[in-house]
Amino acid sequence: MIRRLKSKDSASLDYLYDHYSSALYGIISRIISDEDIAEEVLQDVFLKIWNKIDHYDAEKGRLFTWMLNLARNQAIDKTRSREISKAKKTITIDHLVSTDEGQRSNKQYIDSIGLTEVLNKLTEEQKFVVTYLYLKGYTQSELAKEFDIPLGTVKTRLRMAMIELRTQLKVV
Amino acid sequence: MNIKEYISTGILEAYALDEVTPAERLEVESNLSQYPELKEELEAIEKTMEALAVEASVVPDPVVKTKVMDRVEDAKSKTIAMPSTLLWRYATAASVAIALLTSYMAYHYYDKWEVTSFALNDLIAQNQQIAQDYNAVNEKLDKIQNDFSIIENAAFTKVVLSGTENSPESLASVYWNPNSEEVYLSIQNLKELSEANQFQLWAIVDGKPVDAGVFDSNTEGLQRMKPVSGAVAFAVTIEPRGGNLAPTLETMQAMGNLSKG
Repeated sequence: MIRRLKSKDSASLDYLYDHYSSALYGIISRIISDEDIAEEVLQDVFLKIWNKIDHYDAEKGRLFTWMLNLARNQAIDKTRSREISKAKKTITIDHLVSTDEGQRSNKQYIDSIGLTEVLNKLTEEQKFVVTYLYLKGYTQSELAKEFDIPLGTVKTRLRMAMIELRTQLKVV
Repeated sequence: MNIKEYISTGILEAYALDEVTPAERLEVESNLSQYPELKEELEAIEKTMEALAVEASVVPDPVVKTKVMDRVEDAKSKTIAMPSTLLWRYATAASVAIALLTSYMAYHYYDKWEVTSFALNDLIAQNQQIAQDYNAVNEKLDKIQNDFSIIENAAFTKVVLSGTENSPESLASVYWNPNSEEVYLSIQNLKELSEANQFQLWAIVDGKPVDAGVFDSNTEGLQRMKPVSGAVAFAVTIEPRGGNLAPTLETMQAMGNLSKG
């Protein structure tokens, strides 16, 4: 798969898009609420995957992780470049989860009830870090600074959350 | 390295999120290549991230895919339809020159970085050595101050134990505080013993020898011995390692009486 991508076989990008665009778009569209901009970022992300595939090193991690970080970073950069204020970002978690079924109902969510359920299995603290880091596009240091939590605590909370999610999401 | 502790700091989650400093990245990557458990853990973390993202999936408008594929095809055709003009040749020459220059620079700076990194490690090692030496000296000084306070203390009586016929060269001193019953020993000259034997200090109390503890010949400074009360004399014998219940008088090395008054 990666070899085909590296040899610039566009059928491989087609495959990649079909399999991963929803997962990547789920992250992007939570960080960027404007649908047009989010779609534009998704396009840019796939173009980046295509152009930068030579930088991907399978020794250093999974392809999906690499793509996810490209998407997350691209989305974060976009919110910064447009100077979308932090105030807009700091909506409550409940609001964020409820938007899944509420105002964004025009989008096709695969399993947002499942996500809510999974997140509700976490402690409030864990849910908070997972939501802000993965779904709201905060970096660990931003989260630490803005909510006055020591960076080490952010890291260990995320660690505990990931262990719980591993069980909840049945990752083997 | 304690792998469990390292993992529990959450460093691998930060690495998977691409949120580590370049130095941390180097460290994590070197650890990953050394410890298969770390690699397994990272894999599990990455799979969890993927599972979470899949759970949070949102299907984009189908038109986005068309746009992506169009842009890719567009970029491809541009690459193929490159004009082979003179300008193109200049561009090639220039890019080769730049490539050579940057490779040289990369090599040059890598070299410098390597030298610096070695020098830094050297300095760190030296620093640790100095810290260790400093601690050792400090401990020694503490002991000397402590010893000195005993020697200086008027409550302690000094008893010189001189060599017996067995060993005329032997010389040791006992500092004894009759009130607190504390006993300290200082070796001036005692012979080397085999591993099997140790010196034993005896106090003569009411005409009978009382065990005041064992010691080795290589002890420096004052050594604290067992407390003794009512002693009139002290003696040192050679006994099997660990000490004896009664002194082996034939092996007596040194002896000294308390000066009266």
